[in-house]
This record gives sequence, C-alpha cells and structure tokens, in this order.
Amino acid sequence: MYRSRRSQLIGIAYLAPALVFVLAFTAYPLVQMVWMSFHNWSLITPAKYVGLDNYRRAFADDQFWVSFAFTLKYTAIITPVLIVGGYLLALLTSETSRLRRITRTTVFIPVVIGLGVSSLLWYWLFSADFGLVNKALADLGLISKPVLWLGVDAGRSNLAITASVVWKVIGFGMILFVGAIQAIPREITEASLVDGAGYRQRVTRVILPLTLRTVLLVTLVSVIGSLLAFDQFYIMTAGQPQNETATSVFYVYLNSFPYLKLGYGAALSMILALTILVFTVVQLLLTRRSHA
Amino acid sequence: MRSRLRWPVMLAAATLMLAACSQGTDEPPSTAAQAPAATTSCASNGELTMWERSGGNKQMVDLLVAAWNEKNPNCKIKLTYIPHTEMVGKIAQGIASGEVPDLMGMDLIYAPQFEKAQQLVDLTDRIGTWPELKTASKGHMTVATFENRLYGVPLYADVSALFYNKDLFKRAGLDPDKPPTSLAELRAYADKITALGGDTKGYYLPGNCAGCNIFTVGPLMWASGAKIEAAGPGDEPLVGDGVKQVLQFTREMVEAGNVPEGARSENGETFHLQFGSGKVGMMGTGNFNITLARQQNPKMDFGIALLPGMTPNSSASFIGGDLVVVPKGSQRVDDAVNVMKFLLSDEVQVEVYAKALNLTTRTDMVDNKYFQAEPLVQDVAKALDVGRTPYTLTFFEQINSPQGPWLKMLQRAYYSDDNLDTVITDAKAAMKSIANE
Amino acid sequence: MELGRARATGAAIRARAGRSRYLLGAVCVAICTVMLLPLVMSVLASLKPTAEAAASPPTYLPHALSMDSYERLWTYQQGLPTYLANSLGTALLTIAFTLVLTVPAAYALARFPIPGKEVIFVFLLLALIVPYQALLTPMFLMFARIGLTNTLVGLAILHTAIQLPFSLYIMRNSLSAVPRELEEAAVTDGASSWQVLLRVCIPSTKPAIVTVALFAFIMSWNEFLGALVLMSRGSSFTLPLILAAARTETSLGGTDWGMLQAGITISIIPCVLVYLLLQRHYVAGLMSGAVK
Repeated sequence: MYRSRRSQLIGIAYLAPALVFVLAFTAYPLVQMVWMSFHNWSLITPAKYVGLDNYRRAFADDQFWVSFAFTLKYTAIITPVLIVGGYLLALLTSETSRLRRITRTTVFIPVVIGLGVSSLLWYWLFSADFGLVNKALADLGLISKPVLWLGVDAGRSNLAITASVVWKVIGFGMILFVGAIQAIPREITEASLVDGAGYRQRVTRVILPLTLRTVLLVTLVSVIGSLLAFDQFYIMTAGQPQNETATSVFYVYLNSFPYLKLGYGAALSMILALTILVFTVVQLLLTRRSHA
Repeated sequence: MRSRLRWPVMLAAATLMLAACSQGTDEPPSTAAQAPAATTSCASNGELTMWERSGGNKQMVDLLVAAWNEKNPNCKIKLTYIPHTEMVGKIAQGIASGEVPDLMGMDLIYAPQFEKAQQLVDLTDRIGTWPELKTASKGHMTVATFENRLYGVPLYADVSALFYNKDLFKRAGLDPDKPPTSLAELRAYADKITALGGDTKGYYLPGNCAGCNIFTVGPLMWASGAKIEAAGPGDEPLVGDGVKQVLQFTREMVEAGNVPEGARSENGETFHLQFGSGKVGMMGTGNFNITLARQQNPKMDFGIALLPGMTPNSSASFIGGDLVVVPKGSQRVDDAVNVMKFLLSDEVQVEVYAKALNLTTRTDMVDNKYFQAEPLVQDVAKALDVGRTPYTLTFFEQINSPQGPWLKMLQRAYYSDDNLDTVITDAKAAMKSIANE
Repeated sequence: MELGRARATGAAIRARAGRSRYLLGAVCVAICTVMLLPLVMSVLASLKPTAEAAASPPTYLPHALSMDSYERLWTYQQGLPTYLANSLGTALLTIAFTLVLTVPAAYALARFPIPGKEVIFVFLLLALIVPYQALLTPMFLMFARIGLTNTLVGLAILHTAIQLPFSLYIMRNSLSAVPRELEEAAVTDGASSWQVLLRVCIPSTKPAIVTVALFAFIMSWNEFLGALVLMSRGSSFTLPLILAAARTETSLGGTDWGMLQAGITISIIPCVLVYLLLQRHYVAGLMSGAVK
C-alpha cells in the first residue's frame, strides 16, 4: 500500500522498538553466550579461554548423549500422542453443539495454567505415598503396593511425565486444529457428503489434506517445545534416577547453575540450538512443499 | 583424618593462589586496626540483609533472627530464604554482580569452594582470638578455615546418630538399653525386628537422596576406617576396605527385606518423617528428629546411639549444619561480626539453641538446664565428639548432587547386582575427575 | 437445488448416526472429567486441615474443611499479598511491553516495504530455538550493571524477551489478514499510518491482541527460573518461587502438601478466570492467527 521511500522509513520507525529490544535483550546475551562457550568460567573465578574445548568435551561426555537420547525419546513418544490425540479431539469438538463447545473449553483449561504449576500438581498426584494415583489404583485393586512413579525408573518416570504434559497441552493443538477444520468451506464438506462419502473417507480424503499445513505447523511447535523441555523434569524428577531423565536443557541448567560451569553450559546450549535450527529448517521445507 | 586432607588442599590452593594473584580484588587481611571490637549489638543502624538456604533447620534460624531483632531493633535482620538447590548458583551470581547480602548462612560443606575462590571476607583478625571459638563445633570450624585463615562461625549444627525404637526392640526380644555397637549387630537386630511382620522393618536406607546418605551412611564408612571424598585435585577418594564392607552390608540389608520398599524413592522430602512413623526399628537420622518424632508419635519410646562401624564399639558421625559467613562486597562487615558474637554468646547458646532442643554450637555449653532435662539430647550430643565434616572443594558435584557419583554408587550397591569392586572403581574415577577439574 | 439435495442427504446420514451421537456425547463428558478432575482434587486438597493434608495414604475428599493451609500461605515470610502483587505487577507490565513492541512491529512487517523484512522477521523469532535458561546468566549480569535486578520492570523485560517471538508471530499473521479495503478507505479519508493502525487495524485484530495478552500473562504469572535468578530480596519474590519453597517447607526439607495445594489453587484461579471471561476473543484469535 505504501510504496514511497517515506513509508519505508515510517515502517522502520514502527519496527525499531521491537528490533532494539531484541538486539539488547536477546541478541546481545546470545552473543555473550557464544563468547562464554569458548571459555571456562565459574562466575567466581576469572574466565579462561579454551577455544573449542567445551564443544569437544560435549561430544565425549556420556551425560550429554544420555540427555540427548532421552530428550529425543521423550519427544518421539509425546509428539504423536499430542498430534493424533489433539486432532481426534478437534474432530470431536469442531461441531457446533453446546456439549462440544463446552468440551472444547474444558480441554483448553489445563493449557492456561502454568507448566510449573501443572508439574507440581502431577508431582503430588504421582507421589508414591501421598498421591491420589496410587490410592486410586490400590482402591481399584490393581496394585498391592505403591508404585514408585517418579525418580526411580526412567521409563516409568517418562510415562508419568508424558501423561501430565499431554493433559496440560493437548488442548492447544486441539484448538488450532479446530480452527483449521472450521476454516474449510462448507461447500467442500457438503459436496463430499453428496458423493456418498463415509465419515472416515471425509476425514482422510477431505479434512486432513486441507488442514495438513496446520498439522505440520503444530508438529513443528510441539517438537521444538519438547526438545527444549525443562520445567516438568526439574520439578517432577530432578533428572533422577542418576540423571537418566535429565533432558538436554536440564543438563544445560545443571552446568549453568549448581555446577558453575557456565562455559560448558553455553556450549551445550549452542549445540542444542543448532540442532533445533536444522530440524526447523527441514520441517519448514516440508511444509512449504505440502502447501504447493 | 583432617590433617591428611590439609596438605593436598593447601598445595592445590597455593598453586591457585599464585594464579589468582592477578585478580587484585583481595582485601588486605588485617583491617583489625580499623575494625571496632565486636559486641552483640548494632555497629551501625539500618536493616541487615541475610540469605539462608531453604530446606535446612528453618525453625532454628528463625528463632535466632528473632532473638537478634528483639535485642537490636535498629539493625534488624531481613532474612530471605533461597531454594537450597539454587543456593550455590545464586551466591556465585550475587558475588559476580556485586549484589550480595550483608551476611549469609550457608550449608557448611560448600564453604571451602567459596573460600578458595576468595569470595568470602577473611575474618581472622577480627574473630581469630575469640575464646568462644576454642570450643565451637570442630566440624564447622574446619570448613570455615582455608589456609589458616578464618571465614565464619557456626550458625547451627546437625549431627547424625542411630535412632532406635525401644518399643520394637522389646517386641522383638531385644534389650532396649543395648543398641547395636557394630554393623553385624545392627544386621542381626534388624532381622529380628523385620520378623515381627506387617509393615514393620528393621532399618531404613533412603534410596534417592544423596545428602541423607552422606549424613547417615557416610559415618558407617568412617567408623569402619574408610575415607570418602576427594579433597582437591590429585586426592584419592573412597579409600579403605570400609567402603566395600559397608556397601556389602547395605546391599544385604536390602536383599534381606529389612528396608521398606518406599524408601527407594525417598528423595529427602519425607526422610525426617520416617522414624516417627513407628514402623522402622533403627535408622540413621539427625538430632532434629528428636522433637519431630515426639510430635509425630508422642507415645513412641526411643533411644539414641552412635552410628557404628564394622568393628565393635567403633563409631562416627556427620557434623552438618550451616555457617554464618560474610560475602565479598558486603557493606556491613562490622555488624555481621557482631551477629556472630551474638550467636556464640552464652545466653544465646542456652536460651535459644538449647531451649529449642537444638545442639549448642559450642561443646562447652552442652551442660545446661534444658539438656539436663532431656537425656536424649545429651545422648545425641555425644556424637559431636566422634563427628567430622567432609572437606572438599567440589562437595556438591561429588557427593550431594542427585546426579553425582556418590548416590549412583549407593544405588548400584543397594538395588543392583553389579560387582561391588566395579561399582567402587567407577565411583572413584568419577569423583576423582570432578576433583581434578 | 443441488445444495438442497446435499442437505437432505446430510440429514439422513445424521439421523442414522443418532445412536453414535450419544456415545460421542458420553466420550465428551468423560474427557471433560479427566481434564477437570486433577484441578478439582487439588482445590479440595487445599481445604484439608494440616494433619489430613500430610496424611499417607491420602484421602480423596477432605473430612473437614479448613483454611489452615491458606493461613500458612498468607503469612509465609513476607506474606502472600506481597508475592501476589509482585506476580501481578510483573504480568501486567509484561503484557504492556509485549503489546507496545509487537503491535507496531507486526504492522510494519505486514504492511510496509521494509528492505529485508523476511530476514528481520526470522531474526526476531530467534529466541524461540535457544533455551532461555542459558541466556539467564548473561542477562542477569547485564541487569545488575544497569540496576534492574530485584525490580518488577527487570523481570517483565525478561519475560517480554521470552514471549516476544510467539506474540509477534500471532500479531503479524493477524494484521496481514486485515482486509486492505478498510485501510485503503481510511487512507483516502486522509488518515496517517498511525491513525490507520489505531482506528482500523487494532480493532480488527482484537482477538489476536487478547490472545497475545493472555499468553503473556500466563507465561509471566508462572515463570520460575528467571524470577529466581533476578530476585534476591524476599520482598521481590513472585508466587512461583513460593511454590518452590513449599516443597521444602516443613522443618528440614519436607513438603508442606497443604500449603503447596493452596499455592497451586491460588496460581490457577486468575489464569482460569481470565481465560473463561475472555474466551470468545481468545479462541478466535488463536484459530485465525495460526492457520496461516
């Protein structure tokens, strides 16, 4: 609309505050983080230049790989549950009856409470001696002694945490899918009805393809979120047992705070960020192709 | 034991001191000429900011602060509790940014790390000649010292001992006035108590809490002549047959079913409630558990003995608790020193510490009217005599960290069949590499 | 005519699906229960008297109602009102900063011919892939130098930095979707770009603005690690820090379950309330903002 040189300047003026803000409060700390990654620094002793040592150390560090593998495992398990589950919920609640709308609202409620609060809530529910999950299972006669959900077995802890996170965030995907589904012009769905399409065919041949872009987008956001997961592990298992449930970001936190190895923590963050960047680019390319 | 640790520490520290000399932010150590003599009142007016870690003896610290504030309304202490898992990081950030409190309580085992980095104020010339320090808890004073310089005084003391349930002893046919004096006896007694059935168990081992274990299982190793932590670079950790013997002992305890199943997930958050449940025959725990157990289970009859080792009548204890130190950059050093004098004063030792049935931080104050009415407290105070505090610059990473080699070694011993020699070798290697960084 | 036939066929299909409708209805109710039950149980648990709250095994419903836990929370250290005020103040500031920065920036990116604006947009989304935990220490040191530690403004800036990419994404998509005719009409009437923004664009993107505000609020209200790093005076602590404290609150590090539940309940209530009240705008905002 605005084509003149003047409008270019006006545009830059509107953009400037955000740009300056990000430069000062995101880019600058990021540059410092990169600087830190080439040093050994414990905050209370002066920083020592070590070149690429921290990066080399990361690749030789068992814990780095354990954390990375666990983060991938966590992501690989929770993403399909969130996407498929969210999509099914969206199909269920995209109609306009009152009950469906109430369901949609209710499923979204856990989304608006904080992840930290949700983790504490489920930490309580899964507590071996004080939580309601074990009490319910015992009352139903399904277990004879308390199950140690959190912090003793990595697989079981992962299961419990996954359950709590699914409870919390599935509504987010659902809403976005509902939006995409409802954006499909009525004529197209009605046309498929005329052609005698059954429900399953309608979903797979009409609805899904037309909402594919949203599905890929939600998957991208979900995967990035899972790769960067921290709060729920910090609160529910603190990385136990033996750091097997310490996600990559948790390991970054351990190095940056209690261990006072800030340079190493910074290097780990860089590696993680680059991994996510690569993944994002791949995913976006896929999305662009599906849109064409 | 302590002198064996001093040399490698001092060597390491000397090397680092030479390197750190260029830092140039060290205060000249003797400011005694300018420092006023310490009193137990305000040196200057205005609020004093103090940090203390959460998850410690909050009750005790609150009482002490309240006592100071009552006496000195012009320089009240404003206390902030920092989540204990974040304390080390927060102190480091504070010092790096210059935003430090006027004084702080800190878990005593972290003190050496900060002393070595020269981030605590050297108080030797101000407090070195105080007579009270001669009888102050030696565990505390060891870690408050670095290279013969003094950096703090005890804030409160915890000590570990063996609590035993006299009711269960009687039911199992054991003499309630004869607690076990060796690990072999402990095992035999535990077997008998577990045989009582139900959910009564003879012993307790916290399965997911590094700190609880160094507090209550560490002394078993010390009593058996072993050494645990690597004090600094080049130092050898986990030395002595006692290590393997105790690991064997604990493994067999678990295998024999003498430990409740839920103990496996105990991460410290409900550790202090276990003995008071009345379902555990014997358990390593701390002096704080006396009042707690009484509150939980008023009718339970229990006694306190020293934590034993392999040989009969060997014993040891972990002296833990907090120190009061002054971070570099504090603006109120004089007041901080006065607070220290206050804490060590006779009146506070008796009327605040002893009255609350907490250990006095001066061993010469153990004989007071409150303790005389409480034989259990006198029993637990005996542990101070055989107690020690680990001295290392990397305590958190080596031992206290939930992700560290100490807990890993214990968990493998308790719950797996891994060859114990391998378990110990792995832990040794890990601890050594941490100490060498 | 064709449409009429389609509708008739559709109606027939719907009639046949009558029974499955009831089944799906039941599924909806079950889902709502699963979503709400943990929250309800937590609120109920907060009303238990202290002894019952610490009981093992736990009870489902309180045997007696008591405000013990809330009293403890209210008088905890500097007092709950202080912490609530800090959390609320920070959250409101975060909303203000976020909107002030992202609305004009999104407007500029959507409407003005700024050179390289796609690149700039990607740059501004940078923070999404970096784990912010590693950026905390450099930011903390920067804030210490400029005197922003222990302040609500400082914490709000931190939160805004974290929240900015997501907010910008939503706002830009939403502003791009505003029909150009409306803007062009305003321009022909002689409106300046600023007036167009205020009078045309912002009213048309109200759902997106509500969405951004709500997410900024939730994020800031619940954020823990940044608050821990930035605040060293008890009087500046926010609510999440107190929840963390409740976990080691009873003498010597035990969990004060009752106080934890009370804290969880108090954390949840504003988020759920605000969501339910603003629901219509908010949901529409998410659905339209993300489909692009």
